[in-house]
Amino acid sequence: MSGSAAPGPDRTPPGADERDHVGETVSGQASGRPAERAVPAVPAEAPPSDHAVPAAPEASPPGERPQPGPYQVAGPSTPVGGWIGPPSPDPSARQRLHPLSPVLHGAKSLVVVIAGLSWSTLSRVGLGWFAAMVIVLALGASVLAVVSWYNTGYQVVGRELRIHEGLLWRRSRAIPLERLQAVEVVRPLLAQLTGLAELRLEVVGGGKTEAPLAYLSLAEAAALRQRLLTLAGHSSGTVPAAQAQPVPAGAEPPAQPGRPLHAVSNRDLLISQLLTPQAFLLPFGVAFVATQFLSEGSWSFIAVASTLTAMAGVLLQPVRRVLDDWRFQLARDDDRLRIRNGLLETRSQTVPLHRVQTVRVTWPLLWRMKGWLRLRLEVAGYAAGEADERNRPDRLLPVGDQPTGEMIVAEVLPGVALASLPLRPPPARARWVNPLSRQVLGAGLTEQVFAVRSGLLTRQLTVVPYARLQSVRVVQGPVQRLLGLATVHADTAGGAGAAAVDRDLTDAWALAAELTAWGQAARRAG
Amino acid sequence: MSDDAPEVPPSAAPASPLEPWPDTVRWRSISTDLIWVELLRLAAGVAVVAAVLGVGWALTGSWPFGLALGAVVLFALWRVVTIVRAVRAWGYAEREDDLLVRHGLLVRRLSIVPYSRMQFVDVSAGPLERAFDLATVQLHTAAAASDARVPGLRPAEASRLRDRLTTLGEDRAEGL
Repeated sequence: MSGSAAPGPDRTPPGADERDHVGETVSGQASGRPAERAVPAVPAEAPPSDHAVPAAPEASPPGERPQPGPYQVAGPSTPVGGWIGPPSPDPSARQRLHPLSPVLHGAKSLVVVIAGLSWSTLSRVGLGWFAAMVIVLALGASVLAVVSWYNTGYQVVGRELRIHEGLLWRRSRAIPLERLQAVEVVRPLLAQLTGLAELRLEVVGGGKTEAPLAYLSLAEAAALRQRLLTLAGHSSGTVPAAQAQPVPAGAEPPAQPGRPLHAVSNRDLLISQLLTPQAFLLPFGVAFVATQFLSEGSWSFIAVASTLTAMAGVLLQPVRRVLDDWRFQLARDDDRLRIRNGLLETRSQTVPLHRVQTVRVTWPLLWRMKGWLRLRLEVAGYAAGEADERNRPDRLLPVGDQPTGEMIVAEVLPGVALASLPLRPPPARARWVNPLSRQVLGAGLTEQVFAVRSGLLTRQLTVVPYARLQSVRVVQGPVQRLLGLATVHADTAGGAGAAAVDRDLTDAWALAAELTAWGQAARRAG
Repeated sequence: MSDDAPEVPPSAAPASPLEPWPDTVRWRSISTDLIWVELLRLAAGVAVVAAVLGVGWALTGSWPFGLALGAVVLFALWRVVTIVRAVRAWGYAEREDDLLVRHGLLVRRLSIVPYSRMQFVDVSAGPLERAFDLATVQLHTAAAASDARVPGLRPAEASRLRDRLTTLGEDRAEGL
C-alpha cells in the first residue's frame, strides 16, 4: 500500500511520473487504514463453482505462477466458449467482482432512469405509472448489471492480469504487469457507503483508465493492488519518505538550476510573431474595414463588432505565443531539460530527456528571410485533448537561428547534426502526387534517428530517435500503387510520429526493415 | 547507413506490395470463415436498406426508389467481391522480435509491431464471430496509430497468439 507506485528511474516509462502521482495520492488515502493492509491476498468470497463450461485445463499451475510457460497452447482460458479455469481458492484463479457491484451499478442506473424520464413524464402519466416505469427500467438495468457481473472476471496469470467481460461481445484483455503505470483505489460515494472500492489500472497508451475493476471489497482491492504492484516489480516495501513527496523514488533533490542553454530575446520573439501570416493580414483587415466605413458612410455597430471579433480571433494565436514564450529560457540539468517561460504566468517545466519522443523543426515561410526556425518536441504520457493543452511541455525553442537550433538539437538528441542529416528525396515519379513539393520531401536514417522532411511553404523536419519507435507501418494507397510508391510511418507514443511520404516501393521496404532493425538494436542497447 | 545496420534487409526486391521479404517471413492467413461473418454483416445491413427502399417503391411507385435499390444491390455485389479478396489478403506473421500484420486491398497496409512495445492484448469475439468459432486479437502499443489487429482466428490460435505475445512482451519488456 504505502509502497510507491513509482518504478525505479531506469525502467520508468515516460508518463510514469504524473500518473504515479495520482496513484500515490489516492493510495495514500487508502493506506491510511493500516488494518486493511494486512489482509492477505485471498479473495473475500471464493468464487463458487461457476459456469457449467467445460473447464479448460489450467495450463499454468499455481506452482509455476511467477513465470508461465513460454508457449502455452490453448492457454488457461480459451477465449471463446471456455473462459473459465477451474475454481479454486488459489488467488490466481479467475475471480468475480464483489456480489454487491450489480446493486451499485443498478443504483447508478436508477438515477439515470429517473433523470431520463424527467418531470414532464411524471406530470403526464401520474405517480403510479411513473413508479411502475421506473421499477421496470431499474429492474431491467439490474438484470443487465447482474448478467454483466456474472460474466466479468479477473485473473492473475503469471505476470499478467486478465480481465474477461461481456456476454455477447466477449472480450478478454491481457495486461502485462510490467506495463502497469499506477494502480489506484478509488471510492465513489456509493462505494464508500457499502464498503466497496474500485480498482483502476493505468496503462500507457490509451490515454484513459484502461481497466477499471468495479467493485471489489476494500480489503480485496487493497490486497490486489499490493499483489499487482509486487508482481509488477515496483517497490512494495514501506517507503514512508517516498509517500510524503510526490516525486518518483530515486529523484534527486529538487530545484537545481542546471546549465543554461539558451535564452530567447524578447525582441526576436516579437519580430517572429510579426512575421506570421496573421500579422500580415492585419493591415488588410484594417484597410478593408476602413474602406467599407468610408464608402458606406454608415457606422453599423454590429459590423464593427463582428469585424473586430474576427480579427481578434485571428490575432489571438500570435499574441498568445508572445505572452507564453516571453523570457523563454532553456536549461539542461543532468538528464532533463528545464524550460521557463511566460509573461503573465511564468511556467517552468521539466522534461526528462528520455521521455522526448520526437523533435520537430519548423521553418515558416516568412521566417526564412531571417533564417529562423522553431523547435517543438513531443512527450509521451500526455493524452491528446487533455485539459491542460497549453501546459504540455512541447516548446523547445520558440524562435532561433540555425546555429542555435543545431546546438539545442544536438543537446536533446546527442550525436544528431541538424545540418547534415542524410535526407534523400523520393523518386522522380513522385512528382505526379507532389508536383511542387517533391524536392522538399526527404527521409533519411542516421545512427540514432529517423528524419523526415516535408512541407513546401512551412518546411518541417521531424526527427524520431530509434529508441522511441513504437511500430512501423507501410501504407500504399491506390494512386501510389499505380506509381509503385508507398509511405512509411514511424509511430511514436506521443504526437503523430514521422511519415516518409511516397518512397519507391523497394526503398520503402528497405526503410521499414532498417527502421525495425535499428529500433530493435536501440531497445537492446537502451 | 545501411552498411552498418544491425540487420541488413534482404537485397532481393519484394515480389508483391503485400509480401515483403518473402524469403524471411512466413505469412499465415486467417480463417476463410471470416468471409461468412463479413458477408452476413453485409447482408444484414443491405437487407435493412433494401427493405426500406422496397417498401418505399411499392407504396409510392416512384422510380428513384427502384434506382436506389439497384444501386444498393450493385454495391452489395461489389462488396461481396472485395470482402472475399480482403479476407484472403489479410495475413500475419510472427517473427523473432515483432509481429507483422498486413491487410487492405485498396489501401494496402503493413504494420510491424515489436513485441517489446506491447502494452496489452485484447481478445474479443462478437456473437456472429462466435457462431463461426472465430475471435479477434488486437495488440495495443503506446502509439495510437499502431494498427495490429488480427481478426478471424480460431479460439485456440487466438489464445496461443495472445499467450505468445504477452510472454514475448514480458521477455523483451522495456519501458517506452
